[in-house]
Amino acid sequence: MKQEKPLIYLNNAATSWPKPPEVIQAVQESLSYPFSGGGRGFGNEKRDYLSEGREVMCNFLGEDSPEHLIFSANATDSLNTLIHGFVASQKEKIHVLSTTLEHNSVLRPLHYLTKQDKISVDYVPFHDSIVNPEKITEAVTSKTQLVVMNHGSNVLGSVQDIRAVCEYLHDKGIFSIVDGSQTAGHILIDLSSINPDAFVFTGHKALFGMPGIGGFYIRDPEQVIPVRMGGTGSDSGNLDQPVDLPERYEIGTHNYPGIASLIAGVNFIRATGMKKMKEKAEQQTRFMIDELSAESAITIYNHKPDLPIIALNISGLDNDDVGFILARKDNILVRTGLHCAPFVHQAIDNGAGCVRISLSWFTTDEECRIATDAIKEIAHHANHTI
Amino acid sequence: MRIIRSNRHKYCADGSFMKEFVLDSEVTPEFLDFLKRFGTLEMLPGLGEGFYKFEKKDCFSIKGFVNESGFEVRFKKEVMDFTSDFLYSLLYYYQNGKPDFKTLSRREEALIERVKTRLYGSSS
Repeated sequence: MKQEKPLIYLNNAATSWPKPPEVIQAVQESLSYPFSGGGRGFGNEKRDYLSEGREVMCNFLGEDSPEHLIFSANATDSLNTLIHGFVASQKEKIHVLSTTLEHNSVLRPLHYLTKQDKISVDYVPFHDSIVNPEKITEAVTSKTQLVVMNHGSNVLGSVQDIRAVCEYLHDKGIFSIVDGSQTAGHILIDLSSINPDAFVFTGHKALFGMPGIGGFYIRDPEQVIPVRMGGTGSDSGNLDQPVDLPERYEIGTHNYPGIASLIAGVNFIRATGMKKMKEKAEQQTRFMIDELSAESAITIYNHKPDLPIIALNISGLDNDDVGFILARKDNILVRTGLHCAPFVHQAIDNGAGCVRISLSWFTTDEECRIATDAIKEIAHHANHTI
Repeated sequence: MRIIRSNRHKYCADGSFMKEFVLDSEVTPEFLDFLKRFGTLEMLPGLGEGFYKFEKKDCFSIKGFVNESGFEVRFKKEVMDFTSDFLYSLLYYYQNGKPDFKTLSRREEALIERVKTRLYGSSS
């Protein structure tokens, strides 16, 4: 494979790269000392990563009860804990609402529970990348007990009005789970004013942490029973899973390097300034969309994304071929296919999938220009097949 | 032509199984001419040294760039056990300089019969 050209990484909605030097240093430091402390250990002899991580993340999400901030492996892990835990706490079959914007981290647990006859599900469709909150309220029935919806679409980059939805659900006593995988780190999130019952995040995307660390914030843990049990380093003579937070959900040894990376990532965002980061991302995304829209062979599926994500296809070429050409010819990495969001693609491209470009703070203007030119060049040649 | 090693492999969204192969020589326009006797070949000659995509229906597809010593193959999972053998035969018989079309055609015929039986329950 010829790779003389420098790598241009445009797959940040999957996992951000590169990581800030501070994050790499924090991970290295976290592994440089033995973990110590009471029970299972709370960090190394210099720092208490667990407490610090909970406080930093809780504060970043606009909340003030760090013990309600639960660490997990990633957003999928969190969503499984919450969805299965909530359904397991119900005495009878319940109705669940979700949206067609969801990722398989939501769709698959819901599908499994439907097959088990534990739930029935309805998916509220989106229009112009947005799920109208009124459509959700209209879809609520007397049996609806749970709503799971994403905050930001991983394909279309649209941010949903979760405040309106959560307010309504809160008044109705319906449990709400918001998947913030794509928004945490990109936009300011103030959970104290949005009021979801649970908010899920992952560390390895816009929060600049390493893969393997994520979590969720939960308001009332009584509504979600723990579905996994194990060692917590506390009350070890008791075979019942502890009921208190965070031990209720956090089992086994923590991912200390991951938590260290998350702390460093959040501190990096704070130091850089989220407003500044958002403005740069918007400017670069706008530039690319404007340039690519001018090509008749290119179809853009999201002309005004809230997040730095562009979804496109080139007529006459399979999306996977476009990704292959970009990678092999130009050393540009994008994501192709269904992006684990099959319902989104059924709606926008008949389920064929698309090319997704996703930017990060570290993406340069020059990289945007090179990538745009490379995609335009492919489009120019796409209809000249021999 | 010979496969030196398989670099990467993964299951794809369309249900196929992808393998990336490193070859002992470059894929030339002559090789592609040979290949297209066994399936359909599409080319975008203006991209780099030429992007190509070969498809043998129900069996596998190959894509890559001309003059690169490697390509990506997507096998139809259900019949991969015998279609991969046919791919290796294609490379092997091209290696000899003068492709043995007679042998390859006989193997292709047998392959198609087995693939159809596996996929559709009948070779007709």
